[in-house]
Amino acid sequence: MELIQYLLDLSGIGRNRLQLRWVSAAEGQLFAKYVTEVSEITQKLGPFDADKFELPLAAVEQTLNSARIRWLLGLIKQVTEQGNVYNEKFKKEDYKKMLHQAAQEEYQKALIMRVLEERPLSVREMAEKTGLAVYTVSLRLNELERQNQAGLQKYSGNTPIFMGM
Amino acid sequence: METNKSFEPKILAFLCNWCAYAGADLAGVSRLQYPPTIRSIRVMCSGRVDPVYITDGLKSGFDSVFVSG
Amino acid sequence: MKSIEGEAGNFTVTVRERPRYVDMDKCIACGICAERCPRKVKDEYNQGLAQRKAIYLQYAQAVPLKYAIDADNCIYFKKKGRCRACEKYCPAGAIDFTQREKIHKIKVGSVVLSTGFKSFDPSGYDIYGYGSLPNVITSMEFERILSASGPFHGHLQRPSDKQPPQKIAWLQCIGSRDLHAGCHEYCSGVCCMYAIKEAVIAKEHGGKDLDTAIFFMDMRTHGKEFDRYYDRAEKEAGVRFIRSRVHSIERAGGPDSDDLKIIYVGKDGRRQEEVFNLVVLSTGVEISEEMRNLAQDLGIELDIYGFAKTSSFTPVATSRPGIFACGAFAGPKDIPQSVMESSAASSACAVLLAESRNTLTQQKTYPPEDPIIHEEPRIGVFVCHCGINIGGVVDVPAVRDYAEKLPNVVYVADNMFTCSQDTQGLIRDAVKKNRLNRVVVAACTPRTHEALFQETIREGGLNPYLFEFANIRDQDAWVHQKEPERATEKAKDMVRMSVTKAALLEPIEPLLLENRHEALIIGGGAAGMTAALDLADQGFKTFIVERDGKLGGHAKHVKRTWKGEDGSAFLTDLVGRVQAHEQIEVLLDAEISRLSGFIGNFKTTVTTGATERKIEHGIIILAVGAEPLKPVEYLYGQNERVMKWHELEELFEKEPERIEQAEAVAFIQCVGSREPERPYCSKFCCTSSLQQAIDFKTRKPELNVYIIYRDIRTYGQREQLYKKARELGVIFIRYSLDEKPVVEDTLIDGKGKLKIMVRDHILGIPLELQVDYLNLATAIIPRGDEKLAKMLKVPLNEDGFFLEAHMKLRPVDFATDGIFVCGLAHYPKPLEESLVQAKAAAARAASVLIKESVEVEPTVSVVDQGKCIGCGLCEISCPFGAVHLVQVPGQGYRAENISALCKGCGICAAACPQKAIDMRHFRDRQILAMVEAGGSKLQAADNE
Repeated sequence: MELIQYLLDLSGIGRNRLQLRWVSAAEGQLFAKYVTEVSEITQKLGPFDADKFELPLAAVEQTLNSARIRWLLGLIKQVTEQGNVYNEKFKKEDYKKMLHQAAQEEYQKALIMRVLEERPLSVREMAEKTGLAVYTVSLRLNELERQNQAGLQKYSGNTPIFMGM
Repeated sequence: METNKSFEPKILAFLCNWCAYAGADLAGVSRLQYPPTIRSIRVMCSGRVDPVYITDGLKSGFDSVFVSG
Repeated sequence: MKSIEGEAGNFTVTVRERPRYVDMDKCIACGICAERCPRKVKDEYNQGLAQRKAIYLQYAQAVPLKYAIDADNCIYFKKKGRCRACEKYCPAGAIDFTQREKIHKIKVGSVVLSTGFKSFDPSGYDIYGYGSLPNVITSMEFERILSASGPFHGHLQRPSDKQPPQKIAWLQCIGSRDLHAGCHEYCSGVCCMYAIKEAVIAKEHGGKDLDTAIFFMDMRTHGKEFDRYYDRAEKEAGVRFIRSRVHSIERAGGPDSDDLKIIYVGKDGRRQEEVFNLVVLSTGVEISEEMRNLAQDLGIELDIYGFAKTSSFTPVATSRPGIFACGAFAGPKDIPQSVMESSAASSACAVLLAESRNTLTQQKTYPPEDPIIHEEPRIGVFVCHCGINIGGVVDVPAVRDYAEKLPNVVYVADNMFTCSQDTQGLIRDAVKKNRLNRVVVAACTPRTHEALFQETIREGGLNPYLFEFANIRDQDAWVHQKEPERATEKAKDMVRMSVTKAALLEPIEPLLLENRHEALIIGGGAAGMTAALDLADQGFKTFIVERDGKLGGHAKHVKRTWKGEDGSAFLTDLVGRVQAHEQIEVLLDAEISRLSGFIGNFKTTVTTGATERKIEHGIIILAVGAEPLKPVEYLYGQNERVMKWHELEELFEKEPERIEQAEAVAFIQCVGSREPERPYCSKFCCTSSLQQAIDFKTRKPELNVYIIYRDIRTYGQREQLYKKARELGVIFIRYSLDEKPVVEDTLIDGKGKLKIMVRDHILGIPLELQVDYLNLATAIIPRGDEKLAKMLKVPLNEDGFFLEAHMKLRPVDFATDGIFVCGLAHYPKPLEESLVQAKAAAARAASVLIKESVEVEPTVSVVDQGKCIGCGLCEISCPFGAVHLVQVPGQGYRAENISALCKGCGICAAACPQKAIDMRHFRDRQILAMVEAGGSKLQAADNE
């Protein structure tokens, strides 16, 4: 859940759109309090414009569905509490950092793949549409090419145009 | 923001059957009042909440998602 | 019932059935007869506040829902064959004036008397003006006024002018704790709590400006969670509590005013007056003359108050073997205690009749599943008014009409009480007639009523999992009482979401598992041993795990019960019977180290020293007890003259010269109880201190005995101890939480003494008491059983006591099947109540142990082995060990679900990177469809 909040921040949607609270069966009062609280927070955030965030939201979803992230999430407990096959235990903080790093990369890749779905684009166009830096786009595009998820379509003049695969 | 005053948030809630859902029922039995903003889905455990449910909630027009276990 | 002949195991009961003049098989409860009946009579069910006809239903949820003719008022019977309107108009031809009284002879092995109580009738009590002042009513009448099906349809109004009252007073102890002729000296035990409830609900109905005041002597909120409710009523709801016994009620103002003047003595000892619009008399409970006579005919002994005489050690057995008593017939008590006693009585019967168990049972059969369940969804939606619980807030007809327009919905209805027996019939009929294959009920909460409706549709030929619940009461109507429109919107959304899911539901086959017949009882105190004996006597092998080196628990400190019975003799006998029983195995100095499994199939490892023992069993009863708080106040632990609980009487017993030399002793009550960090009452400390005080005073009348208390809570017949203590000259001094007594060391004439400073509540002046000993009635605290609770996956309440599944309906069960609770682990209580609860737990446990197989929830995970890559993340993530990898020839490893262990939580499904796991009844596509249905995007599209 923490990771989803991280991704919501990354995508500009904001982590506060996802609220987590623990309530036991005996805590009716707490439940009522939390709903009031969450309602107030949402009230302050204002209405969520799903159309405006269509692209980032789709990319977040794709990130969360990616095998890499699901794997990393699934292994948290084992790697931080029991240790990996080499009996190395990761500190929770370190693992979280790595997870964030991976999620960021996957998210950026997802953004690129999404915009390439519409039509083939140049790196600069991709950067414009996704809001990522040109350098970041090239890095992620490189990885996508290696994983056979994107490739060169043609050259428009000197500019290479890429497409999703 | 002016417009926010009349804005009624709509919140998707995932409630664990054994904890928060029971707590929510108890709030009812005790007649504790809270804003009618949430639309809840009962799940057998908050661990059932797949991350995709959350993005799907936002996509479907909810203003936020509340997960309570 | 006319008579019971024979003996335990072989009774013949003679029952007289009065004619109802309506053929039960034909009556369809349409109500046309009552509509046409010209004879109006007072409606007893509504306490005479409304009228009914001579042909009537006693109340709307009556079971069976069939009309009856009241021959005392019917014109046909009064005027020899006249009228016959009902007969003429009945569409079913159900009226039968020829019916005659029938006498039945029934052969049974045991009898349970649960005849209940009669509410005290204050008519003869003129100082309160009941009967002459129209706005002085009884609490039973007020209950009806608040009820949706009551005389004013749940609108708060007073009888005289039907106007909503602005000020309501409750007068406690009407007919109870009162020595006047016709009244009773015992405490009715339930009135304080119901008066608070009525005041709080009155405020809900009447708004926050409604003024409510409760006039009381001692506030007796001794049950589980009751003190919290009392606190909240005062601090949050603003109910006023006035400690005073009202002297009288008079008509206030002029002759055209129906207001009432209450005259009482205020805090300062002066006469006070206050005017109210409505006065509710909190009438007590009593046993009717009729019941007393019947008891006499049956040869059942009653106590001096007319309640069934029972021993503390066999709390549901009457004086006649084979005949048991439960509920208010055996003494004043509330619903949770009555429900526990009813289970206890059934356990007592089961032990008595163990040999003939299952000789007369029949198997319930269901119609075969209709193949229609596999066709396109045809959904029926039933929206419940729940009286005014939902209907008073949510616009139910609007929700019904809205549901009608939803996709796949082919039938809709709204019902007053969807859970009532006749509505169940309507649902089954609707399923048949409209060829429904999915049912949605919008009502209270699935947590209490889902199983009922699943059963209903199963009887209607549908698979029980083709049912979906929309919670529009507990999580809507009740929590948005001031926003009816938005609550209605929310109800529509909830119904839409449920209908969407219903369309995607699939039939699920039941999962049957083999059942073990052994019991495991954790805790070898009086409660644990009593439960063990009840189970073992029915032939179930029972294990008791006790952490101590011997059996007995705290009961060994109970020298005598409050009724005077010998506690040590009882305990010796109990331990002896347990040790001698061949079906009971006791493990001492033992602890539970591991526990796994589920109802019918638990596997537990018990550690004793260095040895481990593995036990397989079908159920668990938790009877781990509780312990007295060691206080850090009043010099406890610093001065040896300060003691707690039984320590003082044990000292006097060991060293009798101590009491001989003493001049004064004091008790301080509520030490650590009813404090902000422990806001509950420890229930039996008042009784315990009074018992000791009486004992000391009897042994040495010149000894000064002080009891420093907040409220004396000698509920029920225990009140006689309070009376006796006062007669013997025990001095009672009340203190309040903001002015607690102060205890100091002192030396008087070279002798060590204690000095207690406390403010006298009557004189309002500070007092200084000099005493030789001080005994503290400290809180009963839980043992800190978090580890055990976690292992068993059962909850604790905020105070650390085990939290049962439902306070009233399931007082010894946990939400987790196959685990039960009894004794102090549940809440502080006196020995006799622990024993009742132990027997109740045994009855509940036996109902599981007797079965050959258990049916478990089949809403478990399913693995699509085609998608599974055998990574094992599910196995790592499952908290119940319910998914594991198995080798599949030619494919390597694949995940597999162990349905019996699976709790259906769905963590594995959320964790699976391949999305190869899904949950039955909570499938991804079902949940996602609900999410989309609930979102405003779809709603906006709908509106266009």
